[in-house]
Amino acid sequence: MAAVVMGALRAIREKGLRGFMREVKEDGYLQTKIHNIGATLVGVDKFGNKYYEKLEDTQFGRHRWVEYAEKGRYNASQVPPEWHGWLHFITDHTGDELLMLKPKRYGAEHRENFSGEGDDYIYHSKGHALNPGQRDWTRHQSWQPAKTEKNR
Amino acid sequence: MAFTMRAVRVAPNSASLEEARARVFDFFKAACRSIPTIIDIYNLHDVVTPSQLRSTVAAEIRKNAHVTNPKVIDMLLFKGMEELGNIVEHAKQRHHMIGQYVVGRGGLVQETDTKDQGTSEFLKRFYESNYF
Amino acid sequence: MGFLLRALQRSKPALQSRFSGGPGTSHSSLRWISSTRDLQKPDAAAAAAVPEPAPEVPPRTPVGGARVHFSSPEDAIEVFVDGYPVKIPKGMTVLQACEVAGVDIPRFCYHSRLSIAGNCRMCLVEVEKSPKPVASCAMPALPGMKIKTDTPVAKKAREGVMEFLLMNHPLDCPICDQGGECDLQDQSMAFGSDRGRFTEMKRSVVDKNLGPLVKTVMTRCIQCTRCVRFATEVAGVQDLGMLGRGSGEEIGTYVEKLMTSELSGNVIDICPVGALTSKPFAFKARNWELKGTETIDVTDAVGSNIRIDSRGPEVMRIVPRLNEDINEEWISDKTRFFYDGLKRQRLNDPMIRGPDGRFKSVSWRDALAVVAEVAHQVKPEEIVGIAGQLSDAESMMALKDFLNRMGSNNVLCEGNSLNTQADLRSSFIFNTTISGLEQADLFLIIGSQPRVEAPMVNARIRKTVRATQAKVAYIGPRADFNYDHQHLGTGPKTLLEIAEGRHPFCSTLASAKNPVIIVGAGLFEREDKDAIVSVVETIAKHGNVVRSDWNGLNVLLLNAAQAAALDLGLIPDPDYKLESAKFVYLMGADDVSLDSIPKDAFVVYQGHHGDRGVFRANAILPSSAFSEKEGTYENTEGCAQWTVPAVPTVGDARDDWKIIRALSEVAGRCLPYDTLAGVRARIGTVAPNLLHIDDREPATPFIGLKPESQQQVSLAAFGTTIENFYMTNAITRASKIMAQCSATLLKQK
Repeated sequence: MAAVVMGALRAIREKGLRGFMREVKEDGYLQTKIHNIGATLVGVDKFGNKYYEKLEDTQFGRHRWVEYAEKGRYNASQVPPEWHGWLHFITDHTGDELLMLKPKRYGAEHRENFSGEGDDYIYHSKGHALNPGQRDWTRHQSWQPAKTEKNR
Repeated sequence: MAFTMRAVRVAPNSASLEEARARVFDFFKAACRSIPTIIDIYNLHDVVTPSQLRSTVAAEIRKNAHVTNPKVIDMLLFKGMEELGNIVEHAKQRHHMIGQYVVGRGGLVQETDTKDQGTSEFLKRFYESNYF
Repeated sequence: MGFLLRALQRSKPALQSRFSGGPGTSHSSLRWISSTRDLQKPDAAAAAAVPEPAPEVPPRTPVGGARVHFSSPEDAIEVFVDGYPVKIPKGMTVLQACEVAGVDIPRFCYHSRLSIAGNCRMCLVEVEKSPKPVASCAMPALPGMKIKTDTPVAKKAREGVMEFLLMNHPLDCPICDQGGECDLQDQSMAFGSDRGRFTEMKRSVVDKNLGPLVKTVMTRCIQCTRCVRFATEVAGVQDLGMLGRGSGEEIGTYVEKLMTSELSGNVIDICPVGALTSKPFAFKARNWELKGTETIDVTDAVGSNIRIDSRGPEVMRIVPRLNEDINEEWISDKTRFFYDGLKRQRLNDPMIRGPDGRFKSVSWRDALAVVAEVAHQVKPEEIVGIAGQLSDAESMMALKDFLNRMGSNNVLCEGNSLNTQADLRSSFIFNTTISGLEQADLFLIIGSQPRVEAPMVNARIRKTVRATQAKVAYIGPRADFNYDHQHLGTGPKTLLEIAEGRHPFCSTLASAKNPVIIVGAGLFEREDKDAIVSVVETIAKHGNVVRSDWNGLNVLLLNAAQAAALDLGLIPDPDYKLESAKFVYLMGADDVSLDSIPKDAFVVYQGHHGDRGVFRANAILPSSAFSEKEGTYENTEGCAQWTVPAVPTVGDARDDWKIIRALSEVAGRCLPYDTLAGVRARIGTVAPNLLHIDDREPATPFIGLKPESQQQVSLAAFGTTIENFYMTNAITRASKIMAQCSATLLKQK
């Protein structure tokens, strides 16, 4: 409780009351922060998402939650796989513990799902007219005069 | 289903040549209006300009300039509308558009007729391809 | 694959006999796999039912068209293969006897052109009165030997051997490049057991780095040692060897070292499994997707017979084709691996250089019109046509006819000097023939490095040296040979000494029975070439090199086009000078001295690759490469051969002779032929020997007929003709693989 108030006061000092109020409104600050009161911060992943747990005084099955780093456009796919298990009660190991098991050589970086986020994120198959790396079907490489002009 | 119904709707016959002529102009305008959409949906920006497509449409219409029978004009108009409907409904693919309206029905060799007068059969075929 | 095909061929006579024969023979066997023969054709029953008449007709056709040559009739011995008597010469092995009898014995280590190792044990057969099955490849056939190839003993022996071979062979056929053309795959299907009993771990072997051409997956190796024997015997390099014993046995270069033979690619073909495969071809295609086109190679003047394997418009690989007279069954690395040059730097469209010095693509109509107009603006004697080293006879004929019609006689082929003695055919071809080298007992190589200039000729010399201990003497700059040779000197000085009888070599030459002199075509570029040729002829006269039954005076040409060009008379006027040309027609010529073309000359480059020639060109006319056209090439020994189109032309290219034919019409000097047959008919009037395909037209030797040369021999030493074996023409210079080879392999040497 005290931490919330202290944080709020610090934010007011930094951004001014008006800026603080706008942030509160936009980020849903109040709800999340108030909800976080009394919960323990279990961990923070590399994207900045915070994982909380509150064992007393809450309904079982709702005792773990995530506070997304991005308050504006959050989305469940922002949770990396190592925290997914903890968050969904699949395991009691936290993401930081599971991160050690991640294979170094071929473990791919987590990417959130960008569906509906604009044209850049639409997948076009390799022959598609809009695919920038359109597959080239010519089987020979032709001589380019412009490239060789400097030799003269 | 809706667009099928629209496509097969047949206007009543033209009574006179003038009416048919007016309908042809209407059809041309309709086609011209849909050209931006067509370029967009078939992604033709880099291969053709709207004015080129317009002249292609005009050329297609002029091909039948000699027809004077209003019934025949109506029939040709119907065919044209059907084609336009198909194109606008994206019932075709990009290469159909390029093959039929960008490169042209005659392909790239349309111009050979006048230039190669007096040349041998060998040379004519030589210009077309290596294989003969 | 080849094995199965042969099995199929073998079953054809059986099929025919089945349909033509009476009812008594109707049950006799349509069979595909010989290991089940005993089930289908019980010998005893057949013999009892029909008493076999005398064996005039061989029961089956010999395997792979194997022929028997008896040097003398009393050498013949008779053996019985599966009850059929066969006459074979003395000294043949059991395996060869079986081949003559038409029975294909499975084998891995045996290869007819290599020494016998007898270590794979796959060729076990049963021989009567022998306690154990014998390895047929290593066992000489004895008179009256009764060989049984299809008894349960032989079958079981093969199954056992196959089981042992498969013990340590990985089951990675799906990812193996040899899959589909693997001897082990085929033979385990045909002769192997249907299950293995091996439950332990398979061994694995570290892969070796043999360079940019040969990929090794040594775990797949079955230790047949074919590659080791090939390297030591045919290629003449001691690079490969066997290390270790037992399950630790492996093939390797003893120290970390690349294989630096110019024939190293052939180990890919002779490897019966996927241990040695082609590195550039790795994971590119499966052999059943490929379309094979039997054609010839144009990278050197030998004209090796090759098969171009293509998929769609792409040449995927090149493999050798058997031709006993030219390349046996080997090809050089350049021939095998330069194919990726066919896909790079290709000229697509006709181009004209604009006033700003930049090329612009134009249509054929415009390009030909421009070229024709310029050709008419210059004086006829200022027109020069130069055929490149990859030109076929048809296009050279068309070029010569076209330029003659334009009024110019300045047509030449690069590599040929300005006035070689093209009138006497024997003075520019390889008179002994390549296969004829095997009869020679003394070689005198003058100013030529056969290992670099014509690896197949070199392989033949090496074969002769190995077989008969023939001596090799060499005059020229220091070069590496892969056989023993005596380096007599570096230049014409030694040559003069021999001609005047002052050199100790003269006695060797005089005592030789079939001496061979090989003169490199690089000498044609010298100023004093006529003098040198007359000196060489003097030597030939003294050494009795040219006789009625033996012509040992040879010229080893460098390029595929040279011989045909000389036959067609592509010889310029005596007062020809490139420096005074105003209109130069380069037909794929990249190696002429482009700097001596005057600045104001209009240069037309007709060719398939953007190589040296295009940088000077004013107009580019794209033509087809040898893999895309039908053309006649004459190799250095005077054998005319055809290329066959394997892939379509790229872009807007046209065949060479068609371009010239079209240009002649645009220029108003129309050539009288417009089909390939027409061009060939025209060739027939000039050089009829070019129409006799796959047939060598021998040349009558005219020694001493030529007028004595007035030239003085200069004492400058002979130079090296080819600096870089891997990059000699436009295609190989465009090839990435060849660039890699010259970077890694030449540096190592």
